[in-house]
Amino acid sequence: MKNELLDLGSKIIEKIRARGYDEAAVLVRSSRRTMLKIANSQPSVTQHWRRLQVDLYLTKDKRIFILEIRPKDPRVFDKTLDEILKYASVVKESIFYAPLPEPKPIEKLKGLVDNRMFDYIDDPSKLGELAIEAAHRKKIDYVAGTIDLWYREKALVTTNDIELYEDSTGFQMYLRAFAKPDGSGQWSTCSTKMDEKLIEEASLEASRYAVESRDRSSVEPGRYDLVLSPLVFGNLINVVARMTSAFSIFMGMSIFMRYKPGDRVASEKLTIRDAPRYIELPYATSFDDEGVPTRDKPLIENGLLKNILHNSKTASKLGVESTGNAGWIYPHAWNIIVNSGDANLEELIGSVKRGILITNNWYTRLQNAVEGLFSTITRDALFLIENGSIKQPVEKIRIADTFPNLLNNIEELGRKTYNIMWWEVSTPTKLPYVLVRNINVSKHML
Amino acid sequence: MITGDKVLVEDLLSYIIDYGLSRGADYVEARYHRNYSETIFSRNGEVLGIGREDKEGIGIRVIVNGALGFTSTNKLNRESIREALERIIEQTRNTGKLMKEPIEFAEARLGRARYEALIKKSFDSISLDEKVDLHREWWNTFSKTPREAKAAVLAVQYIESIEEKIVVNSDGAYIVSRVPRIGLFYNLVLNHPQKGSIQRWEQLGASGGIEWLDTWDLSKKLEEETKTYEKVLLEAVKPPTEKIDVVVGSEIVGLIVHESCGHPSEADRILGREAAQAGKSFIKKGMIGEKIGSEYATVIDDPTIPGSYGFYLYDDEGVPARPRYLYKDGLINEHLHNRWTAKIYGVESNASARAMDYESEPIIRMANTYFKPGDYSFEELIEDIKYGVYMKSYMEWNIDDERWSQRYVGLEAYLIENGRLKNMVRNPVLEITTKSFYSSIDAVGKELRFYAGTCGKGEPAQGVPVWFGGPDVRLRNIRLGGG
Repeated sequence: MKNELLDLGSKIIEKIRARGYDEAAVLVRSSRRTMLKIANSQPSVTQHWRRLQVDLYLTKDKRIFILEIRPKDPRVFDKTLDEILKYASVVKESIFYAPLPEPKPIEKLKGLVDNRMFDYIDDPSKLGELAIEAAHRKKIDYVAGTIDLWYREKALVTTNDIELYEDSTGFQMYLRAFAKPDGSGQWSTCSTKMDEKLIEEASLEASRYAVESRDRSSVEPGRYDLVLSPLVFGNLINVVARMTSAFSIFMGMSIFMRYKPGDRVASEKLTIRDAPRYIELPYATSFDDEGVPTRDKPLIENGLLKNILHNSKTASKLGVESTGNAGWIYPHAWNIIVNSGDANLEELIGSVKRGILITNNWYTRLQNAVEGLFSTITRDALFLIENGSIKQPVEKIRIADTFPNLLNNIEELGRKTYNIMWWEVSTPTKLPYVLVRNINVSKHML
Repeated sequence: MITGDKVLVEDLLSYIIDYGLSRGADYVEARYHRNYSETIFSRNGEVLGIGREDKEGIGIRVIVNGALGFTSTNKLNRESIREALERIIEQTRNTGKLMKEPIEFAEARLGRARYEALIKKSFDSISLDEKVDLHREWWNTFSKTPREAKAAVLAVQYIESIEEKIVVNSDGAYIVSRVPRIGLFYNLVLNHPQKGSIQRWEQLGASGGIEWLDTWDLSKKLEEETKTYEKVLLEAVKPPTEKIDVVVGSEIVGLIVHESCGHPSEADRILGREAAQAGKSFIKKGMIGEKIGSEYATVIDDPTIPGSYGFYLYDDEGVPARPRYLYKDGLINEHLHNRWTAKIYGVESNASARAMDYESEPIIRMANTYFKPGDYSFEELIEDIKYGVYMKSYMEWNIDDERWSQRYVGLEAYLIENGRLKNMVRNPVLEITTKSFYSSIDAVGKELRFYAGTCGKGEPAQGVPVWFGGPDVRLRNIRLGGG
């Protein structure tokens, strides 16, 4: 649909020009997506979408207007554009305003489309069968989960002669296995390319943790060394990555309000990168929503804050260059990679005298985003570690500490990395297990 | 009422039902759904931009071979609809071979009706420049209020929206509805060079129009809150560590009933349908009538409250709405059902199926959940407390995936000494199980207040508007964290 999408974008740009807007960007997105949801080891629903979405960025006399339209009829645009133009005389100039960036050469990423994905988008039942069957190779009772498969196209047309198109495939999958009486385990995977092996491995990992976490004991609250799985670490790193957005800083929602690039914000062991050009992860892209070429960059490198994520507007406000992370309003990471360390999981566990291995969590909430005071509650398999080895599965606890402590207390990272994406890790993230020292753990005492 | 071409849309919906059945579906449901909204977002009184969202299309659900399928389209012509229907029927048929327990819907008395939530002052009763001026007024109030701290950030998002639906299904439902809503989200940050910072994020929302801006009076609210947060920053002490009595403010009570009564009472969650996402429930099938709390523990979910953020009169399966008594007099009393869970439980659906937009399947959702008020004034609640804490508002909270272990961290909180409010308390932590909370209540305030939220559930995640509320309640013998 490349030409159709670009034509639609160009036609809308013509309408916009004719009405006297100063600048515009039109982002036309089309997708085919199938999601198979599994519960009680059978499909609970098969969902399929074909979507055409048009997002418009308009400026008039430095006023900014952003529109998201799923058009059933092209006449919608005429009416909307006429109405919005009237607003320009009322609203003041946006303090956020900066001209749309000039076109720059884009080095297009190759290998973003895997033709094998289309068969599964048409019929996901075989993948569902594989996931359920693989998980049941261990003695579990049932599984639940999601297999989400997509083909996406985007066309960007702007008033300063940017015309870009890109298409990509991707999938995310996560499975949660339950084993009586109280065992449960979850794992996740994602990729640009279909790989049945990844789905099989994730299913096996979920059911292994379900079986191993049966017959849990309680654990006392207090300070522990924590070994966090890639699911848990991924959830927390997603929060950190969101806080590196200039918009989060601008809006009072970031621990990095108090820091500038170059400041130490984490243990020297930690390097987090925004990796839009890493084609294995499914949100890889050659250009951002303003047509700026993307580039891989560290957010935190060896513990130092290296980059704040910008679009042209937040960049202009701080007198720097866009980092290729637009979002017209909210700059964001595309894919996240955490650099691996030297240890295997056994070695991470082996260096813990008294600690807990946490394999999954959810519901991370902050009391104060500026100070990074937060808690998150665990789910699924959890193991008490004593004197360097796993002692027993334990019941749910909370990690209740601050993000600065969490980042600074990272002691070691695992060697092997995993592609993670699920409900609680919305940006595709490649990362290892991690050992964090001396973190506060709470639980209900009533 | 529907702003699109209503005749064309209704014709398409009928076509979907007929064509779906002719292609072998056992059940077909078609929902025209339009979500239209306009947003003004500002920072420190200055408008950053204006947004408009217009999503319009048809969501289609089918049952084929005992399996459930959902698809949607925003190409509103017969050809696109035929293609979408044929594909989803085929895909659903293919997954049907993996079904062990086929999906069936319970019989229901489905409506044929139309309704509209009323607006007292229309969205255009004040002009855009007046709305923009409000953002400046709010910032002026906020920035001038602190005496020692610095007003660092006030980010405000003002949203007006209209949701229109026509729900039709092969069992005979025909429901036309229109619900306008208004909402305000704000995030404020107060900084002090020595004392650190306070952050407060809050959401206000209701069905209706501009009249709610008068009710909310955000300028006054901001002035009062800013004075309070500055006191928290400058004066608050650590919470007590010993066992004390705690008065939980209505804002937190509202959140607690949403999290630890509403969610675990969702029958789809109880049956494991959301097990990999929002989780399961401590309530298992067969637990109706079991004790969950003291005699004061009655929690109601009522979609029909006029002006509420979660207002509706028929759900997206066409079932008429009514109040649901989820916990009653300390017992687990009723769950939230759609027609699928009603079939498994052998009951009638109580109209809990809701979809966020045309691209979303209807799933079981709360509407407006609240703790039933009692007869204590606030003064009576605290008058015999020798030493305790009153937790009025919160920021951080979470609850486990079975809705049993929960944590709320107070933002505005006070010590109670000899029946009177004293110093402010910084970040007291109430970390408690569901049964302990409902069992520890020994007195309930008489003033019912509601709070707005966007409840998340489903995959892809659906955020739907809800109210949650209650009065202040008193708990005995509680050990708070954070000390």
